[in-house]
Amino acid sequence: MIRPTKYRLPCGRRSVVVVLVFCSLLSLGIAALVHGQDSVRGQTESAATAVASRFGWVDVYIDAPQQSLAAYQFEFAAEVGQVNVVGIEGGDAAAFKAPPYYDTHAMHHNRVILAAFSTGADLPLGHVRVARVNIEIRGDVKPQYVARLQASADAEGTTISKAAISLTEGSAQ
Amino acid sequence: MFQTFFGRFGKAFLGMLLAISVAAAIYGCVAQSFDGRPVSRNWSDGDTATSPGSFSQAPSNGVPVPSKIPFKDGRAMAGESALPSRDEELWVIEKPSSEAVPPLAGDDQQPGSGVLMATPPGEQTLTPVPLKHTDVKASVAGYIATVEVTQRFQNPYDGKIEAVYVFPLPHNAAVNEFVMTVGQRTIRGIIRQRQEAERIYNAAKSQGYVASLLTQERPNIFTQSVANVEPGKAIDISIRYFHTLAYVDGWYEFVFPMVVGPRFHPSGSSQGVGAVPRGQPGTSHQAAEVQYLRPSERSGHDISLSLHIAAGVKIEEVQTRTHQVSIKNTPAGQAEIVLDDKDSIPNRDFVLRYKVAGQAIKSCVMVQRDPKRRDGKSGYFTLMLYPPQSLADLPRKPLEMVFTIDVSGSQTGAPLAQEKTAVRYALTHMGPQDTFQVIRFGNTAEKLFANPVPANEQYVAQALRYVDALEAGGGTMLVDGVHASLLFPHDPKRLRFVAFMTDGFIGNDEEALREVHNCLDQSRIFSFGVGSSTNRYLLEGMARMGNGAAAFLGLHDDANEVMGKFFERISHPAMTDISVDFGTIGATEVFPQRLGDLFVGRPVTITGRYSGDGRQTIRVHGNIGNEAAIIEIPVDLNDASATRDGIAAVWARTKLADLADRSSYEAVGDLAGQIRQVALEYGLISSFTAFVAVDASAKTTGDHGTTVGVPAPVPEGVRYATTVIPNQQ
Repeated sequence: MIRPTKYRLPCGRRSVVVVLVFCSLLSLGIAALVHGQDSVRGQTESAATAVASRFGWVDVYIDAPQQSLAAYQFEFAAEVGQVNVVGIEGGDAAAFKAPPYYDTHAMHHNRVILAAFSTGADLPLGHVRVARVNIEIRGDVKPQYVARLQASADAEGTTISKAAISLTEGSAQ
Repeated sequence: MFQTFFGRFGKAFLGMLLAISVAAAIYGCVAQSFDGRPVSRNWSDGDTATSPGSFSQAPSNGVPVPSKIPFKDGRAMAGESALPSRDEELWVIEKPSSEAVPPLAGDDQQPGSGVLMATPPGEQTLTPVPLKHTDVKASVAGYIATVEVTQRFQNPYDGKIEAVYVFPLPHNAAVNEFVMTVGQRTIRGIIRQRQEAERIYNAAKSQGYVASLLTQERPNIFTQSVANVEPGKAIDISIRYFHTLAYVDGWYEFVFPMVVGPRFHPSGSSQGVGAVPRGQPGTSHQAAEVQYLRPSERSGHDISLSLHIAAGVKIEEVQTRTHQVSIKNTPAGQAEIVLDDKDSIPNRDFVLRYKVAGQAIKSCVMVQRDPKRRDGKSGYFTLMLYPPQSLADLPRKPLEMVFTIDVSGSQTGAPLAQEKTAVRYALTHMGPQDTFQVIRFGNTAEKLFANPVPANEQYVAQALRYVDALEAGGGTMLVDGVHASLLFPHDPKRLRFVAFMTDGFIGNDEEALREVHNCLDQSRIFSFGVGSSTNRYLLEGMARMGNGAAAFLGLHDDANEVMGKFFERISHPAMTDISVDFGTIGATEVFPQRLGDLFVGRPVTITGRYSGDGRQTIRVHGNIGNEAAIIEIPVDLNDASATRDGIAAVWARTKLADLADRSSYEAVGDLAGQIRQVALEYGLISSFTAFVAVDASAKTTGDHGTTVGVPAPVPEGVRYATTVIPNQQ
């Protein structure tokens, strides 16, 4: 009869178990480490692709030097930078305190056209803030704004020939 | 040698390797949790976000929850003010126990104000809510209503909040203006694609700006969110919309809905509007939620309403059975109606009807010129098409009547009593040649008879006993009720008219409408909205899809009278197979694309675009019985008295509704894109567009505060215990 030969491992049966356990743990740990790094990298990458945004405003002024301003329409755009209009306010003069209306078609074709009119008696003359455009700025590029006065008229509907438009910017940050 | 090595150093070596392995495993797991995915999720639209390292009075159950500092770019933002936005994740170290629903206590006044309210016995507890008042100013010219709704949000707590309010508007409201007032300043909001509007709102909220967002959950349910409302401060939100009035059996009807009824959702649905108790947001697992006050609670939110009517002709009578009002008739066909101060709790729809002089109400057209066209020869029109008077003189055919009765939990009490009264009337007023069936539905649908039976004394008596014994309870499997009403063989000798009675409190509206369309065949559905705040979007939709008409039976209406008018309507043949010849008006994009039958007492409103001017004639062709009929309608496109603001908005809104209707039963290519394009072009809110407004002039201090849902009372006549609590199971 041949008796099976028992091969005795150098470190004994208990040590074999320990070796197997720590190999398993080591494998798990390495796998978790790699996955964690990948996740952190992924999260870092997705965070990097999300564009930071900040908020500010642009005040719009109209100069009506010789005639009282009763109605206006202007186009506003950002020639540089990614900007979204997020709210429109009126201006300082009582006649234009209410927020102007915006052209919805233009708004969604990368232009903003705002207009307002007043039939009140207290119409402003001279340099007057007519609107504040609240904006969201995306990315790090500093926007450059332009405004074009498309129409301005007095109470009789006469065009104010020497009217001019200007802008100032601001933010709460 | 090998044995010696392991013998001498093996144990130490093994121990070191073991320690390294365990450490690596632990670090790997921790790194995974810090990649922005929460280990335990405790976030929903209604959840809180607090300043780092602080305990927050989470509104979900009042249990303080320590919050974790959020990560950004892989780094902890400790001590910084960049707080999570609505779509970012917030983790918590401890998750509050979901079973811990605290009992009501005097200090259960979120968020952590510590205010104690002493309540006299038998009275309701006054619960501070961030919505103080709603003001409604409406005016009607012809059959076009212009309505301005102003909601005043005021923070009654000692910490900054975001207020979230889910509320109803008429399902055909064309919402095209949104204005936020902060102190003395008024900011007009911008209509944007919904995702973009939400992104802007969340960014503004997280940075401390006062911002507001209006989104549409259903055509008749909206969510208003206002961020960064500082303690004691008020923010007003004004919404303007246009809509056409219904004309019902000789009366124009103005409706202003005030509260969303608690909706039932079949299992597995998640895109509905959940109904949860106040202070338990997120527990319904639906996309939107309404929190409801317990019967022992009341909020300070009240409503004021004024309505100016310019009918153009003498107003003979004005009535409302839902509210106390004062009515002042001014000369020349005008009236001023004001809601009484004592009736200002917004727990039921405001319904006002008025009758104008003249027996022969004629079909009429209203127009609005397109301001973008300089020639002034194009624009938008609405045509209210009245049935010809001759319909009332003709006898009707035998009918196969099906009475389908909602006996779900929301019908408990007064609503079911109204249904029973109406059906009893109907059962005793059928013709000798008619047959009938009675169906009840709740958790399931059940027919009284295997097949429709003759309307003789024996069967009518059996049906009366059956109806008298009905009890309400359980869910609202409305689609089962639709199937039971329509999916059985049609009697070719009779017209099948289904009188479908329900409050429509379901979350799967679109599925129900699709099934009506798919199963209708030769039947007609007449929907009856029973209750104080019914789902008119669903009920009108069922009638539209079902080629019938909708009627509404409020809790204070005479059920016999309403059912009597229904029988009057179906007792005469309808004008069928209707087509409209617009002649040389150049009508395009006319909606609805499919015109239903024209019943006595029920006109149909058609809207479209036109190009032309001067006097024209519109001809409506159809069949009455077996005979062809024509209605001629003279139109003067230059008539200034026929010009109305808001018709362009009404047209665009009708187009959106038509697209949505069609999408429920046919594949409409890029539906979202089409809806978005129309909504953005006309500045309308829709399921794919939203209004947003940000006050960028000033930042509020601190984090963006606690989100507080504005709770609503359950509608009058609806029982809290059978509608809100069961939804949590």
